[in-house]
Amino acid sequence: MDPIVRMNDITMAYRGVPAVKNVDFDLREGEIHALLGENGAGKSTLTKVMAGVVEPTGGSMSYRGKVVKFASPHEALQAGIAMVFQETSLVPSMSVAQNLYLGAESFLNRLRGTNIAAQQFLQSLNFPVDPTAMVETLGAAKRQMVEIARAVHHEARVIIFDEPTAALTPEEKRHFFALLRRLKARGVSIVFISHALEEALLLADRITILRDGELVATGPTADFDRDKIIAAMVGRTLSGSLYRKRDTASLRKPGRKVLSVQDISMGKMVRNTSFSIFEGQVTGVFGLIGSGRTETFKIVAGIYKRDFNRGGTITLDDKPVRYYTPAEAVRGGIAYVTEDRKSEGIFETMSIGENMFGGLLAAGGEQGLVIRSRSVRELAEEWTGRLNIKTINADARVVELSGGNQQKVVIGKGLVQKPRIVIFDEPTRGVDVAAIAEIHQIINDLADQGLAVVMISSYLPEISNLSDRILVCRQGRIVEELSPAEATEEKIMYAAVH
Amino acid sequence: MGGNAWTILRSLNQERIVLVVAVLIFGAAVIALPGFFTSANLISIVRSISVLGILALGMSVVIIGRGIDLSMVAVMAMSIAWYLQLLGDGMTEHSALLLVLGGVLAIGLLNGILVAYAEVPAIFVTLASGSFVFGYVRSQLITSDAVPVPTGHWVELLGGLRLAGIPVEVYLFAVLSGAVFLFLRFTKWGRYVYYAGDNPVAARNIGIPVRPMLVLRYVLSALIAFAAGLLTAASLHSINTRIVNSTLLYDIVLVAVIGGIGLAGGKGGVRNVLVGAALIGIMLNAMTIIDISLLYQNLIKSTILLFAIIIDGLLNPRDEQTAQQGDI
Repeated sequence: MDPIVRMNDITMAYRGVPAVKNVDFDLREGEIHALLGENGAGKSTLTKVMAGVVEPTGGSMSYRGKVVKFASPHEALQAGIAMVFQETSLVPSMSVAQNLYLGAESFLNRLRGTNIAAQQFLQSLNFPVDPTAMVETLGAAKRQMVEIARAVHHEARVIIFDEPTAALTPEEKRHFFALLRRLKARGVSIVFISHALEEALLLADRITILRDGELVATGPTADFDRDKIIAAMVGRTLSGSLYRKRDTASLRKPGRKVLSVQDISMGKMVRNTSFSIFEGQVTGVFGLIGSGRTETFKIVAGIYKRDFNRGGTITLDDKPVRYYTPAEAVRGGIAYVTEDRKSEGIFETMSIGENMFGGLLAAGGEQGLVIRSRSVRELAEEWTGRLNIKTINADARVVELSGGNQQKVVIGKGLVQKPRIVIFDEPTRGVDVAAIAEIHQIINDLADQGLAVVMISSYLPEISNLSDRILVCRQGRIVEELSPAEATEEKIMYAAVH
Repeated sequence: MGGNAWTILRSLNQERIVLVVAVLIFGAAVIALPGFFTSANLISIVRSISVLGILALGMSVVIIGRGIDLSMVAVMAMSIAWYLQLLGDGMTEHSALLLVLGGVLAIGLLNGILVAYAEVPAIFVTLASGSFVFGYVRSQLITSDAVPVPTGHWVELLGGLRLAGIPVEVYLFAVLSGAVFLFLRFTKWGRYVYYAGDNPVAARNIGIPVRPMLVLRYVLSALIAFAAGLLTAASLHSINTRIVNSTLLYDIVLVAVIGGIGLAGGKGGVRNVLVGAALIGIMLNAMTIIDISLLYQNLIKSTILLFAIIIDGLLNPRDEQTAQQGDI
């Protein structure tokens, strides 16, 4: 039987950096196909190409035997390919029924008629959702049902789920799996992206594994088991000094304990997590997206506030602290280098020097209210040299720099504050290869200078090669501590997936 | 190609363009309009520029920090009206001034706290507080639309004060411009305005006290509005509260935006206010001499404001780098 979707030699590059390289992918009629891989392996990109969200830079795709090229998600939906997004695309302030028919309303429509039609439709799918309820009042599972109902309503023949179970409780997951089976029975083909390997093994007919944008394994589920999948997900070829293997002797010994976190909680994102950070070493924090790793360390940096009641305790130098603003954390010597430099890291219309100067000012580096403008230029010169920031001229606006150089500016902005604890959150995301090596060097140097360095990353080679100890985060807490000497990438991944 | 012309347009400095246009209009008016290039008229130009410019200084500090203060004109007119009313009712100079300054501070604080801590959009907060100030003062605290300055009072004397033939407002505008320039350029808190305007989240993350600084800016703009009100009352010997319903507020925004202070925040300074005020002041004066009716003056001004905002939106987009990082 011919596959319903066939992707040939698909390549997708963002600004020259390929996220997916020469991937061939088949989806058969009426199958559940699991797409697995680490964060950044290219799963989302591949499915976005399929659903017309992005146009591939190379390769072709055929749907129902015909070559197609979707210019927009709308076109793909018209043809019968729907994508249910990780972040749901519902309108929170509208009712379930209105959301179901969003974009497909007749010119004149009555609310009552819409509600009745929605009611009947939801019942036919066996979804216990009230069509008149506002979407904002629904839980994650019901929202997802509405999303799915919308896809089915458009008579989608192919439905793509991006991390569908991340927000669901075990009970809701069971309902969701039953639904997938029902959809399958109706002849709908399903692609689902997941970090939960058990789900894939349980549900899927076939499994495809991507790594670093390339397809590494594909086949019937019966050919795979948990260990095989993990090996395929992480088993990259070790190339160059970037991916050297560490032995016990090369690990830095922990210095003084500077930060101790006990049982901190914040809503559902961070649950009762405890750990310590030591001077003079790199503490690697590994976790998949949604594991609460960023939130945990944003609490440490004063950006988020932990729960007021039973929020746990944070001790810095044996003194309990509770920060209400990042300014207090900065004064305490904690610098946080964000994972999202565009929206919360750089001042894009300003020069490198002004960016650095902001960090200095905020840390109280300039005494008194009056500042000297000379120091901006000095700072720019000093830090472009120290961090090897490449720029055409010193007055260039940061927005004009490449991703790697912007990242160095964000790092410099933190370092200029002379912190004792530096938290790097995904320090090499969206950064070119040459800059990755340089940023790794910066991180190593800081630890050698005796600073307490925390590096959050979802990139395994980065974790195992830079860390002197590894914390693994899962479902809002640090679940395991490993030593890089003994931890294989398989072991780390095993602890991080549930 | 269009792309080429675009680069040229972007590389041009808005401040310089506006300055050139202002000089051109000035030259054209000198040649074409009898009675324009007389000392009396020139003084009246600088006088009108002064009050407008002072208000625009306050507005600009707020706009650079990615906010807007639409309550300025109401605060300006109503605080002075209340002050003059109190004096007229026989209150002592001392207590009247203290009371009114307290009120002005309270409005600035209210604006700032609502914007910074309650996170209500500035445009709505200040629109509402402005009309509240107008309504409350007009109905409860003063008895008529226009309140005169008591004879012999220092505000009246201020209006007649001239140094070397130039009215005192001009000096005050110059002094305030210098003060705001020094504040923005050379003080820590002034620099914070730019960081918070460029990227408030990043500013907070590196430890800048973003929220207290926001409150400070609205307090500052309220105080500047009060000062502008004093000068208005000084030159007219009374304050007419109907000015709140005039287009003065739009003139202030116009001065700031046309001078090159981007509504997206983080850009501009005192120089931009000066060129903006020069252009608008000359233009308004020329239009009055040509005897264009107020109706058409407003139409012309609003058209210019509309275009200035569109061009500002193109030159200073809020989101320069739409390409998404990561999420591969």
